[in-house]
Amino acid sequence: MGQLLLSVKNVTKTFGTLNALENFSIDIEKGAVIGLVGSNGAGKTTLLRLLCGLYRPNIGNVVFIKDGNEKNIDKFREAVGVLPESTGLYHRLTAWENIRYHSRLHGVKDSISWERTLRFSKALSISDDLMRHTRGFSRGMRQKTALLRALAHGPEILLLDEPTAGLDVTSARLVRKLVLQLKEEGGTVIYSTHNLSEAEKVCDRIIILHNGQLRFDGSNEELLLETNTKSLEDAYVKLTSDDARIKEKEETEGWFAKKWRHLFTRKINYDNFEEEE
Amino acid sequence: MSLKRKFRTIFTISNKELIDYVRDWRTLLAVVLVPLLMFPTIFFVLPLVMQSELDERQSLNLEVLIETNENLTQFEFLTIEFSENLLNYSVIDLNPEIEFNDTSMMMNDIKSSKISSVLRLSYDSNSSIWNYYIIYDSTQESSGEAYLRISKALSQWEDNLTSERINDAGLNEEAILNPLQPGESIQGDIATAAEQAGFVFSFIIPLFVSIWTATSGVQPSIDITAGERERGTLESLLCVPCSRLELLLGKWLAVTCIVAASIILQLAGLVFAISFVMSGSFLQPPELSISSIVLFLVAVSVFGIMVVALEMALAMRSRSVKEAGSILGPMMLFFFLPAIFAQFINLESIELFWFAVPAVNVLLAMRELLQNEINFLHVFVWIFSSLIYAAAASWYASRQFLREDLVESLS
Repeated sequence: MGQLLLSVKNVTKTFGTLNALENFSIDIEKGAVIGLVGSNGAGKTTLLRLLCGLYRPNIGNVVFIKDGNEKNIDKFREAVGVLPESTGLYHRLTAWENIRYHSRLHGVKDSISWERTLRFSKALSISDDLMRHTRGFSRGMRQKTALLRALAHGPEILLLDEPTAGLDVTSARLVRKLVLQLKEEGGTVIYSTHNLSEAEKVCDRIIILHNGQLRFDGSNEELLLETNTKSLEDAYVKLTSDDARIKEKEETEGWFAKKWRHLFTRKINYDNFEEEE
Repeated sequence: MSLKRKFRTIFTISNKELIDYVRDWRTLLAVVLVPLLMFPTIFFVLPLVMQSELDERQSLNLEVLIETNENLTQFEFLTIEFSENLLNYSVIDLNPEIEFNDTSMMMNDIKSSKISSVLRLSYDSNSSIWNYYIIYDSTQESSGEAYLRISKALSQWEDNLTSERINDAGLNEEAILNPLQPGESIQGDIATAAEQAGFVFSFIIPLFVSIWTATSGVQPSIDITAGERERGTLESLLCVPCSRLELLLGKWLAVTCIVAASIILQLAGLVFAISFVMSGSFLQPPELSISSIVLFLVAVSVFGIMVVALEMALAMRSRSVKEAGSILGPMMLFFFLPAIFAQFINLESIELFWFAVPAVNVLLAMRELLQNEINFLHVFVWIFSSLIYAAAASWYASRQFLREDLVESLS
């Protein structure tokens, strides 16, 4: 077992009446590549946002461990690289300017972030496009640029939210290859995905989340053994057999706004349905 | 984190925001070109267009009808004036059956533009007075123009008749018509040209500065807050190791730079246009002491801090650019109304509490300072109250930047 890097302790995160995460605990060791698997609304993004300090837990806490001491997650943000679900690139800046902006905010010198960017951009086959404005970038190019941005400041842990979503086969393979390269270099990665086979290829530990609850935490082999199944898909289905919740979050709309919207929403009687003219 | 690193973070954010903003030619157009050209356009092009339209209207030959039972020779002077003013007239008899001010008979002819106007004339030999009545349609340009020309001709005729009657009575026309005349100069204004300029500017500049500050901050405020949220760029930015306050300050600095640039350019355009129109004869720069200039800049700055912080806070509350626009649009009234209101407050014997009213206080301060007047009690009250308002607005903005739901975007 590797050195403990992050610890999520009995965390509950609620939005209105919805428990996005419920009494959730995990430990993350240095050098681990962890697959975060779950359906839509399972709580994967909430967990990632808790890990990078964007959300505060209602109950419990998230701490990182440095030299054997527990520290607040805010002190850890310099060491985190995040690839959010929406790539979040500025279209009027070039790929390199996007990367450099975040690196500077991490307090990293341009020369260092450039060196790292160049190295990883070659692995992702994007080095020729670094000086291009990102406005014309394809989904894959944007995803790769955002990944470079997350890596440029040399993070200790990388949080990837659906890194291959919407990518073509070649681009997805390049991203997975890069994650494996980081793994070889001793990097810590948390890899959120819907795709079980992808998690199987990349991760050495799988966490299955369902309706905000931890359903499984262990290796691929342990998952098959525990569920007494032959494939990860069967194991996943067995663990998440209850229906996934429909809504991810309570509406944050105010009372008046909601009433006003409903006032102008036509009520349809499905028992006596009539086509609109 | 060291103070140096904090400042570097703030400048990095504002620098990026400015680059991002400047690279969009449409926003640059709105901030640079429109402000620079707006007043010269209003002062030069608009009068030219108006003059050209006026010339065109004045060159029109208009058909008018004179209804009278008097002999043409009795108002020959008037008919000459008509001809000189390009009014083609026909004379018909006045129907004694109809009322003098009855317009019904002529309505169709004027509405159908057959004729532009009708002049009814009758002479009362007992009182030696001419009665007239002009029928026209104020909603038709040609009819309105005919009315103006008839009025002008009647006025000339009246002057001529007055002179004739005074001379016939053997009186001195000049002594009767102009019994009161100025000396070599009409008035003895002791205000210098610079003071007069300061007085005029004290009405114009505060009004424009407040409106410009409010309007030019709206678009960048929305773009770098609600816009970022909508485009989904805010989530990754919130992950970087800088505090929300640094983020707010960086973005605030960028918007303030844009607003300042816009105000300076608009002021330059305004001063250039006014100076050109006045040919430099009247509006030379007002004479302001260094203290007045410094205090004026302080007034603009605290007003800017408050306005930009409020705009950014409200924009940050919104989930989309559209939502932010629909909130900030009506909010402009809260800046426009005090700006207009402050113009009507008499600065002499002003009550002290006005200098504590939000927005109004800074506008009144600017007016006083442009007249080179420094009242220390006024200065203390407006600086103190403005700083409180600016601090409250900034605190409110920083609260908005701490919201957890900022990471959620429509994209």
